[in-house]
Amino acid sequence: MSTQVHANLTEEQVRQISGDLDEPEWLLETRLEALEALSDLDMPDVIRTPGRDWTNLHELDFESLVDPLNAAENKDQIGPDEVEVLPWAEAVSEHEALLKEQFGSVVDPQENYLTALSTALFSTGTVVYVPEGVDAEDVTIRTEQNSRSLFNYTLVVTEESSSVTILERQSTGEKQDEQYYSGIVEVVAGENSSVQYGSLQNLSEDAYNFSLKRGDADTYATINWIEVNLGTQLTKSGVSTELNGDSSETQIVGAFYGHNDQHFDIDAKVWHKAEHTTADLVTRGVTDDVARSVYEGVQDVGREAWDTSSYQRENTLMLSDESEADASPKLIINNHDTEASHSATVGQIDQEDLLYMTSRGVDPRAARNMLVEGFFVPVMEEIAVDELREDLEELVAARLRERSE
Amino acid sequence: MARLELNNLHAEVAEGDEKILEGVDLEVESGEIHALMGPNGSGKSTTAKVIAGHPAYEVTEGEVLLHLEEDEFGDEIEIDEDQRSWNLLELEPNERAALGVFLAFQYPAEIEGVTMTNFLRTALNAKIEEREELFEDDEGEDEEEEDDGFETSPMEGPADEGEVGVAEFQQILQEKMEQLDMDERFAQRYLNAGFSGGEKKQNEVLQAAILEPSIAVLDEIDSGLDIDRLQDVSDGINALRDEQGTGVLQITHYQRILDYVEPDHVHVMLDGQIAKSGGPELAAELEDKGYDWVREEVYGTA
Repeated sequence: MSTQVHANLTEEQVRQISGDLDEPEWLLETRLEALEALSDLDMPDVIRTPGRDWTNLHELDFESLVDPLNAAENKDQIGPDEVEVLPWAEAVSEHEALLKEQFGSVVDPQENYLTALSTALFSTGTVVYVPEGVDAEDVTIRTEQNSRSLFNYTLVVTEESSSVTILERQSTGEKQDEQYYSGIVEVVAGENSSVQYGSLQNLSEDAYNFSLKRGDADTYATINWIEVNLGTQLTKSGVSTELNGDSSETQIVGAFYGHNDQHFDIDAKVWHKAEHTTADLVTRGVTDDVARSVYEGVQDVGREAWDTSSYQRENTLMLSDESEADASPKLIINNHDTEASHSATVGQIDQEDLLYMTSRGVDPRAARNMLVEGFFVPVMEEIAVDELREDLEELVAARLRERSE
Repeated sequence: MARLELNNLHAEVAEGDEKILEGVDLEVESGEIHALMGPNGSGKSTTAKVIAGHPAYEVTEGEVLLHLEEDEFGDEIEIDEDQRSWNLLELEPNERAALGVFLAFQYPAEIEGVTMTNFLRTALNAKIEEREELFEDDEGEDEEEEDDGFETSPMEGPADEGEVGVAEFQQILQEKMEQLDMDERFAQRYLNAGFSGGEKKQNEVLQAAILEPSIAVLDEIDSGLDIDRLQDVSDGINALRDEQGTGVLQITHYQRILDYVEPDHVHVMLDGQIAKSGGPELAAELEDKGYDWVREEVYGTA
């Protein structure tokens, strides 16, 4: 399917963005190539059944959503002293060699229309560099969007035997009728290093969001993702790990709570490409009112992936009859030396559970809220970042309190 | 004192018209222990569920009444004369609980992510609050209208922690668990999740002990218990009656538990009705002769 090309996007705009950031020629070229590629690229893959795309990205009016030269945000980029947490322009001037080596090495800028658009137009970003042997906690990246569109880029590089915990959050400052946030995250986890990357997306419910996060795990490296989505009217979010090194591991934990007419399309993917690798994918989500969720999970076990362990489970709880949830867990096995499981469920509050609780005196509303909060607990238990877990608990509780009945 | 009264109770499955109860008459008073026995499918469990307000059953005829005396809930709650009899069928399950009705489930729900402590404290506080609302004087109505709607703004933090605070509740829970010889680690486990059959039953008795019901309906609380646990559960039931004056309606298939919890009255249910009632000796007779004997005696056919 061909995609509309922006009539109002120009090379000059891209040159100006790159120039303002003082970027080297090779980076400008990468951006310009991405811009030029737009006409040939498709929207990201979505699950399709005959006659229907589960998530329709073509209806988005990028023409009016994208306003490349007026990006505005409020940003915090904080971390402990022993790790470098650099705004993009600073990273460009201080770490050009690192960027040249890693930028676009995990997520191909021309993977699809939206990654190319993001690559061409991103005006803000963060580079987290963790030197060999350093253990760093509490790296925080906070982005508050104040403009119609905002394109963000994050690169995390951990050297051998280091570890880092990162919490990235997005929210909306100045609201508009429609806004677009696009974020690409690349994680390059060096040998025997460990990255825990938590993301809390709580943008305005009028916003659209496209994000793609992917990690490359070297030998004995661990990449753990926590993907939380609460805001936007439409989110297309992909989280994935390539287990390229022997004995590497990943965990992808997801949580979402959609209400009103929110639409979340979440995909979690892992590619087992080396020996003795382990993956654990756990997502839980709630849909209410006329909200809709689409989940796709893929465990891809490559031919060389001997002794693979790979587990996936997804559960969606529908709180209203009008909400919809679809899930498609997939397991592709090309090496028989694999222990794997995958499952997905979609269900409603169990009436027997509810009666059990109300018959002990708990009023129906409180009982239902306890069941919903309890439903998220298996995911909460996997979140090692206290701040993220506590915020998610509070946001879920607040959303439940907002319900009219 | 409280009295549960079932009059000519008829009920059927809400979806479909399968009749299950066909005129049940039964009375249980505070401090009494009644055993309700009968073959599978005779309507014992349905009776229990209808008393609790299970939405899967529709009552087509008859009534379920709860009569309370003035001092049922102590000094704090004043029960006016016109508030002493309640038609339970008009009330929600949580309101029935607030009035002192408790159902121990044959198959207790397993609820992931909600700890025993959190659930039970919430239930206890909700019960106290609901009870206050049910017995509120007429003058109190204006007051209620004022704080109608949200108790706290939806964006503020959670509502206050209720009548029984965390520390006080821990104390209560610990005492009751010791009485029932339960491992204190239960308190932090998720409600029935991963519990063995026996642990679930013990947990039902614990919940009754904490919620201090006026009338407790125990649906096959004895099935699947080993002898030690049967003893613990029985001690718990006897304590409910002896210490809290609870009236107990004990549904069971087996004579065995009645050796530990001696009933004052025994009822035999057949085909959705109470076919025969008697004293404790009736249970022994059933154990010897089975139910066909009752059928023969009542209907003249075997």
